[in-house]
Amino acid sequence: MVELKPSLRVLSPTLSELFWEQAATDQLLGIKIHLISEIKQTFSSKIEEIRSGYQTLTIRWADPTFHSEIIPFLDDLELVSQPLPDRTWEIPVCYDSEFGYDLNALAKAKSLAVNEVIRYHSQASYRIHFIGFLPGFPYLSGMNPILAMPRKSQPDRAIPAGSVAIGGNQTGIYPQRSPGGWHIIGRTPIPLFDPNSSPPVAFQLGDQLVFRPIDKSEFDRIRKFKPQLLR
Amino acid sequence: MIRDPAFAKILKTGPGSKIIDQGRKGMGEFGIPNSGPLDQQAFQWVNLVLRNPLNAAVLEITQPGFAIHFPFPTLICLAGASANIKLNGVQLLNPSLIELPEDSLLEVGAFKQGALLYLGIKQGFQSELSLGSRSFFEGITPKSQFSKGDSLLYYTNQEIPNLRAKPVFDRSYLNATHIEVYLGPEWELLPEKIKAEILHFPLKLSAAKNRMGIQLDSPFENSVGSIVTVPVYPGTVQLTPSGMLIALLQDAQVTGGYPRIFQIAEKDLSRLAQKNVGSQIQFTPIKS
Repeated sequence: MVELKPSLRVLSPTLSELFWEQAATDQLLGIKIHLISEIKQTFSSKIEEIRSGYQTLTIRWADPTFHSEIIPFLDDLELVSQPLPDRTWEIPVCYDSEFGYDLNALAKAKSLAVNEVIRYHSQASYRIHFIGFLPGFPYLSGMNPILAMPRKSQPDRAIPAGSVAIGGNQTGIYPQRSPGGWHIIGRTPIPLFDPNSSPPVAFQLGDQLVFRPIDKSEFDRIRKFKPQLLR
Repeated sequence: MIRDPAFAKILKTGPGSKIIDQGRKGMGEFGIPNSGPLDQQAFQWVNLVLRNPLNAAVLEITQPGFAIHFPFPTLICLAGASANIKLNGVQLLNPSLIELPEDSLLEVGAFKQGALLYLGIKQGFQSELSLGSRSFFEGITPKSQFSKGDSLLYYTNQEIPNLRAKPVFDRSYLNATHIEVYLGPEWELLPEKIKAEILHFPLKLSAAKNRMGIQLDSPFENSVGSIVTVPVYPGTVQLTPSGMLIALLQDAQVTGGYPRIFQIAEKDLSRLAQKNVGSQIQFTPIKS
């Protein structure tokens, strides 16, 4: 697994970035999860924060004097790909056109029936690679490539909270109202981000997520429920 | 010290007036932005002068036409932008540390220099903590900005303060146009011609300026396009597919998909954030 050893670059005196040239896979995600816990254990209060991208882990040091300590750490590092958790979250989604206002246009552009889009979207199992963009917004792998659709050239000004969307080869959920350029195919009544909970996001990196189609009456009934674990 | 709660009332405000403290640290893994002060220099100074805790919450004001009423005595301190300030109808000369008697009306008029005014108060404003911070942010705090009629909790100071010293806030950084930067990880992907243009020409701040970032009105060719999503920070400068530069600020999202061409030196973030729409800046790489 030598080839999965990260490279190091310095963004500023307080920002060090570990990166991989390889595209994100479950194996790389397992390595990142292992590395995050090693970094947290080794450096504890010397780091302020770790942020992730698909092929990057970026460390914010509490003080610029600490940043060179990453070099011996990487030299001594034994790379382990952590087995990914089995934990799977079930996200109910109402694909009704009232919520998924771009669903018809997306189906048409893909020469698929609306039901087929819903089936492809809700049959897959997705993996959470990191949380970014907005508080609680999960970046997911695993979407059927048949649903890939370039982002809108003109972003929407205000996408409603809970919107489930497709952008490029990714699918995601907008936890709060936001501008955005993805195609909206449905909405979940479940809040993904709760500033009064600790932690404010229930998901962890590596968790799986599935979408369960629901109708409008169920949407109204389970509004504000907490995210549920399927297993 | 006597800590009697009192409520200041906002009588007039433009958009963007917020309670700000040092923000939320260590929460990027949940997608939560920093939301610290845009001008760290001014923020720290008001709390230092007031002998406040380092993280005491202050008011960040971005528009002229702000008025606030304090029913009970306290000490406040102003820094950052220089603006026309009236206390109970009387124009103040070089206001910084100000003793407010009971029933005080403070009015902020035209900004003469800078874009962000900081109003600190003895012991800090006492709004609700949300995820460890009082900094306003939509979806995290109940309010994302103040409106006319809103109230803010503070502690009145019944002791008679002894204001012997008249501290002066050094505003020379507001004139500085050079912004020091570290070259970003995607800088090397740009063609030499574009690199030279970005470093050579002064760049103008467009009207698209808020706590998330500043768009610079200087279209360059972006041959890199988008990149696989990566972490970004306050001070990250991105090159968008349409060729605009965006300097990210305190409320910026935690990840992004545009090439990161610079990381602004932290010490220069204050001077950048204080720039008004239409003013010009120039990026200067730090030799390493």
